Amino acid sequence: MRRYLTFVWECVRLSFVGDWRYHAWMTVLTVVALAGLYAYCHQLVHGLVTTGMTDQVSWGLYIANFTYLVGLAAAAAMLVIPVYVYRNMHLHDVVIFGELLAVAVIVMCLLFVTVDLGRPDRFLHLLRRFNFPMSMLTWDVIALNGYLLLNLHICGYLLYSAYCGRKPSPVFYVPFVFVAIVWAVSIHTVTAFLYVGLGGRPFWNSAIIAPRFLASAFAAGPAFIILTLQVVRRYTNHRVRDDALMTLRRIVQVAMIINLFLLGCEVFTEFYTDSAHLASARYLYFGLHGRRALVPWIWTAIAFNLVATLLLVLPASRGLRWLNVAGVLAIVAIWIEKGMGLIVPAFVPTPLGEVVEYHPTGHEIMVCLGIWAFGLLLYTIFVRISVPVLAGDVSFAKRHGAPPGTGKAAT
Amino acid sequence: MDPQTAAFDRIRAVAVPAVLVVVAALLGAGLWRVPEAVPAAQPVPAWAIDPTPIRRPVLKPEYEVAGFSMRCSDCHDLFPSPVETDRPLTQHTEIVLKHGINTRCFNCHHPTRRDFLVDDRGGEIPFDQPPLLCARCHGPTYRDWLHGAHGRTDGFWNKQMGPQEHRKCVECHDPHEPPFPPMPPAAGPNTLRMGEQGAPHEPEAVHNPLRIYQQGAGREPVAGAVAGEDAHE
Amino acid sequence: MSDTDPGSESPRLTRRGFLRKGAAAAAGGAAVAAALSPLRDLAPDDIPTIERLFQKHYKEMTPADKERIFARIEREVKARHGVKTRLTDPPPLDGVEYVYALNISRCIGCRKCVHACVAENNTARAPEIQYIRVLQMPKGSQNVESSDHHYDPPVVPQPDSYYMPVQCHQCAKPPCVKVCPTEATWQEPDGITVVDYDWCIGCRYCEAACPYWARRFNFTEPEVPEGSLNPDMSYLSNRPRRKGVVEKCTYCLHRTRRGRMPACVEVCPTGSRKFGNVLDPESEVAYILRHKRIFVFKEDVGTVPRFFYYFDERGSRYHEPIAPVQPGADA
Repeated sequence: MRRYLTFVWECVRLSFVGDWRYHAWMTVLTVVALAGLYAYCHQLVHGLVTTGMTDQVSWGLYIANFTYLVGLAAAAAMLVIPVYVYRNMHLHDVVIFGELLAVAVIVMCLLFVTVDLGRPDRFLHLLRRFNFPMSMLTWDVIALNGYLLLNLHICGYLLYSAYCGRKPSPVFYVPFVFVAIVWAVSIHTVTAFLYVGLGGRPFWNSAIIAPRFLASAFAAGPAFIILTLQVVRRYTNHRVRDDALMTLRRIVQVAMIINLFLLGCEVFTEFYTDSAHLASARYLYFGLHGRRALVPWIWTAIAFNLVATLLLVLPASRGLRWLNVAGVLAIVAIWIEKGMGLIVPAFVPTPLGEVVEYHPTGHEIMVCLGIWAFGLLLYTIFVRISVPVLAGDVSFAKRHGAPPGTGKAAT
Repeated sequence: MDPQTAAFDRIRAVAVPAVLVVVAALLGAGLWRVPEAVPAAQPVPAWAIDPTPIRRPVLKPEYEVAGFSMRCSDCHDLFPSPVETDRPLTQHTEIVLKHGINTRCFNCHHPTRRDFLVDDRGGEIPFDQPPLLCARCHGPTYRDWLHGAHGRTDGFWNKQMGPQEHRKCVECHDPHEPPFPPMPPAAGPNTLRMGEQGAPHEPEAVHNPLRIYQQGAGREPVAGAVAGEDAHE
Repeated sequence: MSDTDPGSESPRLTRRGFLRKGAAAAAGGAAVAAALSPLRDLAPDDIPTIERLFQKHYKEMTPADKERIFARIEREVKARHGVKTRLTDPPPLDGVEYVYALNISRCIGCRKCVHACVAENNTARAPEIQYIRVLQMPKGSQNVESSDHHYDPPVVPQPDSYYMPVQCHQCAKPPCVKVCPTEATWQEPDGITVVDYDWCIGCRYCEAACPYWARRFNFTEPEVPEGSLNPDMSYLSNRPRRKGVVEKCTYCLHRTRRGRMPACVEVCPTGSRKFGNVLDPESEVAYILRHKRIFVFKEDVGTVPRFFYYFDERGSRYHEPIAPVQPGADA
C-alpha cells in the first residue's frame, strides 16, 4: 500500500518535471482548458442557449466530438490486436501508448457527454433508475465506463509492475487485453446503435452506420498514434522502431480504403434511389432549399479522404513526411465526416420538414477546445510518466535506495 | 546543460505563473459576454386564445329595425309578403343569400308564419333548433354532428363528469352565407435561431403532372375579398 | 536543472525552488478560480439542494412524499412567479385510453390551438415553446418537406393548401420512452406519455428519437410573462419547468383527467379537433374511428400513434375567397 502511494506521488511529481518546451506545451493546454471551463460555467448559469443547438438540431458539436472520440478510443484496440493476436512484435513496445490514449480519450468522451447534459447535477439518476436494456444510452454508459476501467487496469498494472521492478504476471493483464479487444469494437458499435435505432431519422436508420464507424475509427486512431509516436520518439528516449510505424500505416491504409468503399455504398443508396429519404443527404452534399452550410465541409472531408488514401497507397508514404501529411488529412477528414457529416445532417430537415441550420457558438467551440486540451494534457502526462517508468529510470527501488539526507520523507 | 536551455528554464519559471495570472485576470474580469440569442417574445392577441365561437346568433325570430327589436310576425302578420321566389328583397336588403344552389328564401323560412322555419312538409321548425332545418339537405353532415364528428363540442369529454354540448350549426355558419369565413392566422413559430424562414422552395426541375392543377402552389397568397388587409393584425 | 531529469530526486527544497513552486501553484489556483467565476451568477434556486438531489422518481413517491414535494414546488412557484397555486396530481381514470382525432377537411390553419396550448401549459415565451406545430401542406402531397411552418398570409385557409397540425401523438409504442436512459419519461395507463421534470437529465435523446418532432427542450430558463401563469397545475403536466429539462404535450392531463377537454380542443373555432376515450363505444372519437376515413401520419415508422387525421367524405376546401371575419367581433 505504501508502495502504491509512493507510486502515485511519483506520478504526480513527474508530471511537473520537464524542460521548457514541455512546460510551454502544458501551460498552453492548461490555459485552453481553463478557458473551456470558463465557457462551460457560463453554460451552467445560462443553460444550453449559450450553444448553437436548437429544438430542431438538438445535438451538435458536443455529441459530434463524442462520437469521433469513441472511435479513437476503440482504435487503441488496433494496436493490441496485431501484438496479442497475431504476435506481431513490431508494435509490442508501443502498445502501451495506444492503451494510454484510450484512457485519455474515454475521459474526453465522458466529459463531452457531461457538458451536453441539460442537468449534469442529476447524473446520479442514471444509477438510481437505469433503462437497461432498452435504452442504447445505458449500454453506452456501461461500455464506456467499462472500457475506461479495463484500460486503466491494464496500463496501471503494467506501469506499477515496472515501477516495482517486477515482471508483470500475464494472468493479470492478458485476459483483460483480450476482453479489451472485443470491448473496443463494442463501444463503437453501441455508439453507432444510438443513432441507428431511431426510425424517425432516416439518415441514421441504416445498417451501414456501424461498419462505417468502425472503419473510420480504425483509420483515425492509428493515424493519431503514428503522430504521437513520432513525438515520443523525438522528445523522450523511448525507442520507437520504424516497423511499428509501418505496421500502423498498413492498418490506416486498409481502413481508409474500406471507409471510402462504405462511403460509396452510402452515396449510391441515397442518390440512386432518389426518394424522400434523400433529404438529409442532399442537405449535406448539395444543400437544401438554399441552405448550404455543411456543403463545403463535407466536400473538404471527401477531398482529404481521397488524398490521404492515395498517399497511403503510394510508396511515398513510407517516408515519414508524407505519412504524417496523410495522417493529418485522415484525422481531420474523419472528424468532419463523423461530426458534421453524420450528426448534424440527420436533424436537417426535421421530422416535420423544417430546415433550421446549425452554427456552433463561440462558447460551444471553446468548451470543445477546452476538453480537447484537457485530454491532450492527460495524455501528455501519461506519456511523461510511462516512458521513464517503463524504461526503469523511475522505480521504487531507486527511490527507496536513495542516499539519506535527500529531504524526502522516509518510505 | 547548455546555457540557452538554462536561460529558457529560468524564463519559464517566471513565465508560467505570469501567464496563469494574466489568464486569471482576463477571465475574472468577465469580459466575455454571453451572446443574446433569445428572440423577443411575440405578443399574442387575446382573440388567439379566446374559445368564444365566431358567431353568437340570437336563435330567435327577431329582427332589428331602427334600434327596435321586433319579432318577424309583427310585420309579416300585418303585411303578407308574396311567395314568389324571384322577387328581390325590398326590406332587410342587407341579407344576401349565397347558399349555393339554394336561392329561395322559403326553402328555409316558413312562407306564412315567419316566426318559424319550415320543414319538408310545410310544418314548423322553431328558430332555436336550426339543426333540424339544415338536416333536410345536409344529411350526412347532420348525422356526423349528432355523433360529434362535425362541428364543435363544448364542455367535458366525459359526460359523467360534466356537461357536454354540441354547438348548433348557425353558431359557426351564417345561414345566408354558410362557408366558414377565412380569418387571419395567429403568429407562427418563434424558436431559437430559426433564421429567415419562408424562403421559396426551389422550382421542381422534374415534370410533375400534379402541378398543372395546383393554382396556388408556391404563388402569392390570396388576400381574400375587401377587408382582407386590415383584418390581419 | 535537476528537475528536468526525471531520474533524479530533487535534492533539497531550496527557498528559490519553494518560491517558484508556490508562485506557480498560486497562479494556477487563481486561474482556476477565475475560470469558475461565472458561477457566481448562478441564481440561488439553481444550486441543487440535498433534498432536490435525492428527490425520488415520481413512480417511487409515497403519498407523504408527494405532499411534501408538492408543497415545496408550490413554495418555489410562489417565490418565482408570485402566484399561489395548488399543485394537483390527478390519477389516470380507469377504463380510459385517450385518443385524438383531427379533421383535416375542416382545419383552417388559424393557429389558435397553438397559442391556447402555450397559455394553458405555462411554456416559455422567449423562445416560444409551442407543443403544436401547424403545417401548411400543398394539395397533393403528404411529404412534410413541402410544408410551410411559417406561413403568414393575410387570411387562412389559402387555396390549394390543407393544414395539418402536429403535436405529440402519445404513441402506443413510444420511441422516446424506449431511449430515455433514466426512465424520466414513461407512458401512463391512460396512454399519455409524461415527463418527470425533476428527474430528466436533459440528454435530449428523446428529442432525437421522436418521429413527430413533438418534444421540446428548455435551452434557457423559461420565462412566463407576469399575469399569464395558469395556476391550475399538475406535477406531470404544466407546472413551471426549469432550464435543462425536456417537456411535451400531455393532452392537458390536469384537465382531461378531470373530464375536461384539452385547451387546443376547446379553442378550435371550426371544431376540427376531437378528443375522448377510445374505449367508450359511445364517444365521438369512437364514432370517428368507426366511420370516417382516417390515416396515421408516418405510419411506416411503426410507433402506433393515438392521434388520427380524418377527413369528411365531402367538404370542399377550394371555394372562392369570401369576406373574412374579424375575430372577436360579434356575428
